[in-house]
Amino acid sequence: MSPIINAFAQGIKKSGVKPAEVCVPSDIPFEPNVVKQLGVDYFHTIRGRAIVFGTGLKLANPALKVVPVVGDLMTLGGNHFVHASRRNMELLVICVNSFIYKKIGGKSVPSTSPVFSLYSTFEEPFNIPHLGNSCGAIYTARWTALHTDELVNSIAEALNKRGLSVIEILAPGPDYYTGINNIDSNLVKFYHKNSEIKNNEDPRNVGIMPDENIVVGKFTDKERPTFIDVYNAQLSKVIGDKFTPYGPVPTSRTGAGLGTGKNESGGKDG
Amino acid sequence: MAEIRFAGYGGQGIIKSGIIAGKAASIYDNKFSTMSQSFGPEARGGACSSQLVVSESKVLYPYVTKSDVLVAMSQEGYNKFESELSEEGILLIDEDLVKHKPPRGKIKIYSIPTTRFAEQLGRKIVSNVVMLGFFTAVTNIVSYEAMKKALPGSVPEKALDLNMKAFEKGYEYGKQKVKIK
Amino acid sequence: MKANPRDVLTGVHYIDGDVAAGYGVLAAGCKFVAGYPITPSTEAAETFARVAPKGNAMFIQMEDELASISAVIGASFAGVKSMTITSGPGYTLMMEAIGFGAMLETPFVLLNIQRGGPSTGVPTKTGQADMMQSRWGSHGDYEIIAISPDSPQELFDYTIKAFNLAEMYRCPVMIMSDECVGHMTEKVVIPPAEEIELEPRRLYNGPPGEYLPFKPDGDFIPKMVKAGAGYNLYISGHVHDERGYPVTNEEFKSVYLRRLVDKIRRNKDKIIELKEENTDDAEVIVVSYGISSRVAVRGIEKAREKGIKIGNLRLVTVWPFPDEKIIDLAKTTKAFVVPEINYGQIAFEVERCCHGRANVVLVPHSGAGVHNPDDIYDAIVFAAKEKKKIEGIVEYKTKLEKLVFEGGFKLKE
Repeated sequence: MSPIINAFAQGIKKSGVKPAEVCVPSDIPFEPNVVKQLGVDYFHTIRGRAIVFGTGLKLANPALKVVPVVGDLMTLGGNHFVHASRRNMELLVICVNSFIYKKIGGKSVPSTSPVFSLYSTFEEPFNIPHLGNSCGAIYTARWTALHTDELVNSIAEALNKRGLSVIEILAPGPDYYTGINNIDSNLVKFYHKNSEIKNNEDPRNVGIMPDENIVVGKFTDKERPTFIDVYNAQLSKVIGDKFTPYGPVPTSRTGAGLGTGKNESGGKDG
Repeated sequence: MAEIRFAGYGGQGIIKSGIIAGKAASIYDNKFSTMSQSFGPEARGGACSSQLVVSESKVLYPYVTKSDVLVAMSQEGYNKFESELSEEGILLIDEDLVKHKPPRGKIKIYSIPTTRFAEQLGRKIVSNVVMLGFFTAVTNIVSYEAMKKALPGSVPEKALDLNMKAFEKGYEYGKQKVKIK
Repeated sequence: MKANPRDVLTGVHYIDGDVAAGYGVLAAGCKFVAGYPITPSTEAAETFARVAPKGNAMFIQMEDELASISAVIGASFAGVKSMTITSGPGYTLMMEAIGFGAMLETPFVLLNIQRGGPSTGVPTKTGQADMMQSRWGSHGDYEIIAISPDSPQELFDYTIKAFNLAEMYRCPVMIMSDECVGHMTEKVVIPPAEEIELEPRRLYNGPPGEYLPFKPDGDFIPKMVKAGAGYNLYISGHVHDERGYPVTNEEFKSVYLRRLVDKIRRNKDKIIELKEENTDDAEVIVVSYGISSRVAVRGIEKAREKGIKIGNLRLVTVWPFPDEKIIDLAKTTKAFVVPEINYGQIAFEVERCCHGRANVVLVPHSGAGVHNPDDIYDAIVFAAKEKKKIEGIVEYKTKLEKLVFEGGFKLKE
């Protein structure tokens, strides 16, 4: 995890976003000192609900930068990713794909490459950038944890995007599975060595397959109205001039950032 | 306390009738009223009903057990709810839409061609309001004044005049019918 | 703090319970509702969606109930009052997150317009069979508050109260209503905004470096901050210490988990609202909640006319359960009669508190309808006549059950 955390910290810095405004709902347990170092607000949610927890944070205060960091994106809560992409909810989804559940002794996940699982998961893994892109995500990228500079750039870039961005990070898992299928004993190096950078590659072609190089890169970067844009457009159409658009206001410690647009009373209830 | 059942088919404004009468009773007559509508399978397939309980004190049991008034705007509605009507009850029917059996016990039957009247006024859709006028005149459960106050806000504003006329038409017809009886 | 006039639809309305609840949500200052439509609660969500822009509030239809409740918890941490609206099957889907919300001490409100169960049950008809689930549905030890309104007016009033309780005690508050009340149209009086008292979020105002998200103040309740305001929050569903950091040893767990339970149990007197009538010298007391408490009054009045000394205890607050009240009444009364639209849930709580001192008669109902008040009357008469103490619970056989099971009633559509 540590190269990713470093990249995350640097990415926030490079983006110009204040760490204090960044909220990280996650179903991966972070160490408290890591959260302290990052300077963000961290929420360890129940399995699979980081994206929807983040949706609540974002809609309640649109000024926040919400970055759900998820491990196994496509099992519990996989549907949330599909819908958040469709809505173009302003979230940066970071999927840390180590291909195995580290905490529970190396069980494989549905996006596991067959290379890593001899007995249980032999199915084709999800192609996450392709899935996100086809559901409506505006920014998709994949890097290994050793593509540090590229990863930092992607995080910085995505933090300033208006809409749903997804960055898949192939991360070193435990050394539990090394030795299998002649994989190099240092997994992170294995990923790096067997990856190939293809920026702007059609996400349809970036599936992770056994015996093929892993395609990494920034694949897509486009514009689409966000959920709040569409909400405001629709309600202005229905209600007309009387409608006050819903939107962000600056955050501050006194709580003025209570994010309900021009809502003049909401932030003062403390 | 009075228990009233409105029955007909979807699109006739059966639920609306319950709401207008209930609103008139509880807001403008200062009584208590509870209106429930049918949901689920029985609300589909065209059949539709609403039940209204009007009382001088808080309505405790919200549903109709034995109706005092059955307003039948369709044959199916009549068939389904006739047995629920009390032996001293009042049956109101649209005479063009409902054929009734000889009355049980002391049941009084009043009939009116609501749909025809509504068509004469210009729009068939106000037939339920014609019936509400008729209901007001015949049953005296809800006052004429209260009903007139309950109509604005309950019907589309641009159709208010038409609805008021429809109500008056039904009310006048009802008054005559009561006199004759 | 008073309600914002912009959020309050002051006036006399003739609306159903679902709509009244929707108006109540807005009046309570709620700014975020996430839900997934389910009969018979949909109209409440629809109503809020319609009026939300007035109060600059947001309604979002999520992809499912798990998403809805998780978003609600997230929104609450961002600093706004939030809620979700559901019924039976959706409620079951929300259970994991309810425990999570309780663990995180999240103020939020959940409106459950109960329908007939189990499973898909009878979606369009009433039931009261989610009462135990509301208390025990999620795994582990936690406490919630549940209130049970009996009319559209109360759905408006108690929705506001639910938000106030959620903020005061930092816990999920369930409004356990039912289809009958939700779909019943009655007069609802919405007062002017200045007559509606709201409980604001209790925010921490000290230096950020010293903030401890789970350090309680005098009444067991920690102060909150808003996410993204520079407090470097660490919030976790693990058992955590005052900093929010996970702890695993049993001593720590006993300290921090104890408070989660105690903050409700020790504040019971302040939380519980009961409506009590003639219980002092009653020989029989009817204990009921929600729509059943309303229907029961007919049975009670009839019993009173026949000269039975009958008391009425209505549980407006069902959870936390008023143990002390029942224990107290059991000393003087002969029996309790508990009508509820299920096969015994709250009746067993009454029996637990009675401890054999008084008989407990359950008047069950399968759902898809409300009790026949005569059944409640008959059960009262039975309870008043019965001289011997009966161990356990007496399940009274209703007229409908007699008809169906003994009277040769043929089921037909």
